[in-house]
Amino acid sequence: MMAIRELKVCLLGDTGVGKSSIVCRFVQDHFDHNISPTIGASFMTKTVPCGNELHKFLIWDTAGQERFHSLAPMYYRGSAAAVIVYDITKQDSFHTLKKWVKELKEHGPENIVMAIAGNKCDLSDIREVPLKDAKEYAESIGAVVVETSAKNAINIEELFQGISRQIPPLDPHENGNNGAIKLGKQATQASRRCC
Amino acid sequence: MEGAQENPAESSSSVLRSEEPASGPEGLPPEESEGCARPLEEATPKKLCGYLSKFGGKGPIRGWKSRWFFYDEKKRRLYYSRTAQDANPLDSIDLSSAVFDCKADAEEGTFEIKTPSRIITLKAATKQAMLYWLQQLQMKRWELHNSPPAPPAAPDATLAGNGPALRLELEQEEAELEEFLCPVQTPPGLVGVAAALQPVPAMPSALQNISLKHLGTEIQNTMYNIRGNRQAHGTGHGPPEDESPPSGEPQRAEQPLPSDPSTPDAVDSPKPAPKSSLTANLIQKAKRQHNTFPLFAEGLTRNRTAQEKALALEQQVLMLTKELESQKELVRILHKALEAAQQEKRASSAYLAGEDKDRLELVRHQVRQIAELGRRLEALERERENLAQTASLQEQQVRELQQHVQLLMDKNQAKQQVICELSEQVTRNFMHPPPQASVPPGAGDRDFLSQQEKMEHLKDDIEAYRTQNGFLNSEIHQVTKIWRRVAEKERALLTKCAYLQAKNCQVESKYLAGLRRLQEVMGGEASQCSELLRQLTQEALQWEAREASAEVPELSPISEYDEYGFLTVPNYEVEDLKLLAKIQALEVHSHHLLAHEAVERPLRERWAALGELTPSVELKQLLRAGVPREHRPRVWKWLVHLRIQHLWSPGRYQELLSQGQVHEHPAARQIELDLNRTFPNNKHFTCPSSSFPDKLRRVLLAFSWQNPAIGYCQGLNRLAAIALLVLEEEECAFWCLVAIVETIMPAGYYSKTLTSSQADQRVLRDLLSEKLPRLMAHLAQHRVDLSFVTFNWFLVVFADSLISNILLRVWDAFLYEGTKVVFRYALAIFKYNEDEILRLHDSLEIYQYLRFFTKTICNSQKLMNIAFNDMNPFPMKQLRQLRTAHRERLEAELRELELLKAEYLEARNSKAPAVPEGCASEDEGEGEA
Ligand SMILES: Nc1nc2c(ncn2[C@@H]2O[C@H](COP(=O)(O)OP(=O)(O)OP(=O)(O)O)[C@@H](O)[C@H]2O)c(=O)[nH]1
Ligand SMILES: [Mg+2]
Repeated sequence: MMAIRELKVCLLGDTGVGKSSIVCRFVQDHFDHNISPTIGASFMTKTVPCGNELHKFLIWDTAGQERFHSLAPMYYRGSAAAVIVYDITKQDSFHTLKKWVKELKEHGPENIVMAIAGNKCDLSDIREVPLKDAKEYAESIGAVVVETSAKNAINIEELFQGISRQIPPLDPHENGNNGAIKLGKQATQASRRCC
Repeated sequence: MEGAQENPAESSSSVLRSEEPASGPEGLPPEESEGCARPLEEATPKKLCGYLSKFGGKGPIRGWKSRWFFYDEKKRRLYYSRTAQDANPLDSIDLSSAVFDCKADAEEGTFEIKTPSRIITLKAATKQAMLYWLQQLQMKRWELHNSPPAPPAAPDATLAGNGPALRLELEQEEAELEEFLCPVQTPPGLVGVAAALQPVPAMPSALQNISLKHLGTEIQNTMYNIRGNRQAHGTGHGPPEDESPPSGEPQRAEQPLPSDPSTPDAVDSPKPAPKSSLTANLIQKAKRQHNTFPLFAEGLTRNRTAQEKALALEQQVLMLTKELESQKELVRILHKALEAAQQEKRASSAYLAGEDKDRLELVRHQVRQIAELGRRLEALERERENLAQTASLQEQQVRELQQHVQLLMDKNQAKQQVICELSEQVTRNFMHPPPQASVPPGAGDRDFLSQQEKMEHLKDDIEAYRTQNGFLNSEIHQVTKIWRRVAEKERALLTKCAYLQAKNCQVESKYLAGLRRLQEVMGGEASQCSELLRQLTQEALQWEAREASAEVPELSPISEYDEYGFLTVPNYEVEDLKLLAKIQALEVHSHHLLAHEAVERPLRERWAALGELTPSVELKQLLRAGVPREHRPRVWKWLVHLRIQHLWSPGRYQELLSQGQVHEHPAARQIELDLNRTFPNNKHFTCPSSSFPDKLRRVLLAFSWQNPAIGYCQGLNRLAAIALLVLEEEECAFWCLVAIVETIMPAGYYSKTLTSSQADQRVLRDLLSEKLPRLMAHLAQHRVDLSFVTFNWFLVVFADSLISNILLRVWDAFLYEGTKVVFRYALAIFKYNEDEILRLHDSLEIYQYLRFFTKTICNSQKLMNIAFNDMNPFPMKQLRQLRTAHRERLEAELRELELLKAEYLEARNSKAPAVPEGCASEDEGEGEA
């Protein structure tokens, strides 16, 4: 029997970078051009098979505007992973990303998997943040990095697969303290749907 | 002539005798007067003679004069003299070339004798007399022309033999005359010899009667008369003599004298008159009286009664008195005449007595006088001619004028005739128009007739229309009644239909919910079952489309957008959400249908009846029940005004806008980003041509300047958008936003730290624990934190959560009562769905449920009742205290956090690799708390 492993994931990032859009794409495979700015938070789930396991992502989408930062801890608290999103067409958003990384390092859960998503890669012609910068930065913090497009459904699933790969396989002996059933570490699932 | 012949035939010797001497002295009056006297006894009309008035004279004396006219058979001329007794006639008229004329228009009895030399105008006493005269004169003229003057003897002889034959002849002649004029009877007493005995017809004065023209003759006559008188007196002849010589003359002379004593005598003795030879005048008088008063004489002879006699005598006396007076007058005239004669005599005697010289002188004088008279006569003659000329001229003129008049009269008559004809035609047309219609009438007639016909038609039409109108009125009445009943029925049916539809919706939604549940339960397991399930779900989702298109001509179909432009069915791509959305839409619809009749109508009426808005308990209740859409803008404006009075100033909004044009507010970029992300489920904000995003930009920019401390906070876009959707005017919306942020919400609600907002989340948690302890225990058990959803509720006042009709109701009360309403509704929403949440025993399920559960709330009435009744008591004091307390605690926490942060950073800096996990865990713990 395939075990379901619940993984709490929160999305962080500046407002308008496309957090909600990424979630929408990932969960509903749908993209809405006009999507309301998130106020408070949004919760969705998505179960993805990962190797022998089923990873059930409990996704918390947060508000991006700076003044809602104070609410964020509520959502990254206990998260197995955090998807930090920036808009490749906005340098500012990359800067905000760095702030989030810093905050997560400071206040976030231990061993939290960080995935950096350079969204709106469909708009690479007006890009402000070079992929190289993001890759360098991600490498520096040991984070997964991928350029995505919620609009064109580029690298969305890969993003979450990357997270799944980063999640340490469930130690049969230990239980995850953040509500997720930790399955035994299996490397198999990562390569299956790699692009 | 015949008359003359007759005379001798009837009257024997005396006639012949008297005629012979009369013819002897060549037209002398004595002979004639003899002839006049004689026929008294025999044939009066044989001789043509009598008194006539002759018109003549000149100047003032011009006038009628009485003349004795007589026809002389021998001379064959008509003579006239002043009186019958005059010896010399004044003049004579030749009848042979005379023309007689009588004028109808002249005075009665007037006739004319026209000779080539003169015109004599005469007047007979009566018309009959005139006619007699004219006839006789015609006869005389005819005689003159037909027979040459025969010797008196020859006709006598012939006449002696066949008198009756002649008489016949005469009668024949008269018969011929009858053709033109019936023979006129001899007027008694007016013509003939007998007329000579009559007094000269009444004349105003004797003088007037005197012929001035023949003055000489007059004098001669006078003289003759006087002489005759003397002879009569002196000699005293026998009756024959008596009768003949004195004729009229002695009569006149004598009459005045013996008349007075003799009249009574004469009355007494008419018979002895012939016997007595005293005076000729007496006899004459007797005779005349016998002639004049035959009745009187008759009366006497028949021995009338004494009384009658006396009466008669009295009358006679009166008559005689009158006669006497006239005689006296005559005497006076005669005296005058005598005087004139004496004067003449004196003149002549002077002439005779005087010397030759004197005589010569006298003669000369006379001659001169004559010459002068001649001259005067000539002058007068000229004058007369002139006058005649002018008269003729005038006559001509008159004739012309008459002709003209005649012409005009003719014309007039013609015109009158035309008028008569026309009027006749008109009356005919008026009286009998229908028969005329058949005849081809004139253009005018046709017009008139057609008009009349039209009028008739119109009258008919009017009548028809009146009937029709009456009928239609009754019809309208009937139809209205029917319509009303049908409308009632329809409404009842609609209500029933709505109810059934709602029921159907509910059943459907339950079915869908069941399906969904099944789906969840089955998970990825059984293949056949899940296949069937998918099929059923697919079908269920397609119902709507079928319903809308095929089935009922939908009474109130689930329209794509609601009245404020929000999508009624959220556009979810995921199937399970689709199902949920469908369920929700069906529920909403069923509630809407049910509420419409029962709840909204009376509310509408109450709002319509509400006049000016004033803060009151009633208004509070009304606002809680919700403002009908048509009243909402007005009410909201009032509510906003009530709150921002102290902040408001005219032109403030424009000021802020212009401020935004000068400097770019740091929030401008974010505002711009969020414009297209505001209410993507509302057509007013998604439609590219809509003006709402622009309005929204301005409102938000203006607010960012109005409140720089806040600037722009995500969420304000929803508040502004709701305000815009309701109020439409951006300035109103701006002030509404100001009212919410600056007057309703606690300070720092939208600030950089959102302290108040976060505090309110804790207050809500406290209140929930108080009001819904079971639910809170359940949630605590599953470690479910509600703030991820409720934070939004408070920040945007349910703008993202509730369906629009409930949302705006909440806002109606919220704008009036403030944040308490938000708490009430937040609690009510949980209460509303409490059982549902309590059923869920998995945190994920609860989270999932909480994501959309606000949208499933359809019964606004129920929600409102919970909010404002079930949540009571809800003291403001408690809320305030909780708020203050939590705010203080939160601020303290924040300070502590900052402190910890600082400490952590310090510590990390000092011992680089060490990671203080406890901090993180503390942080977490705080966040969860
Ligand atoms: N071109 C393009 N546009 C995108 C993409 N992803 C998101 N967007 C747009 O970016 C805008 C913001 O997207 P959101 O998903 O709301 O961004 P967010 O990070 O959730 O914003 P907050 O909720 O305010 O924090 C939306 O208008 C999206 O349509 C993408 O991959 N390509
Ligand atoms: Mg978002």
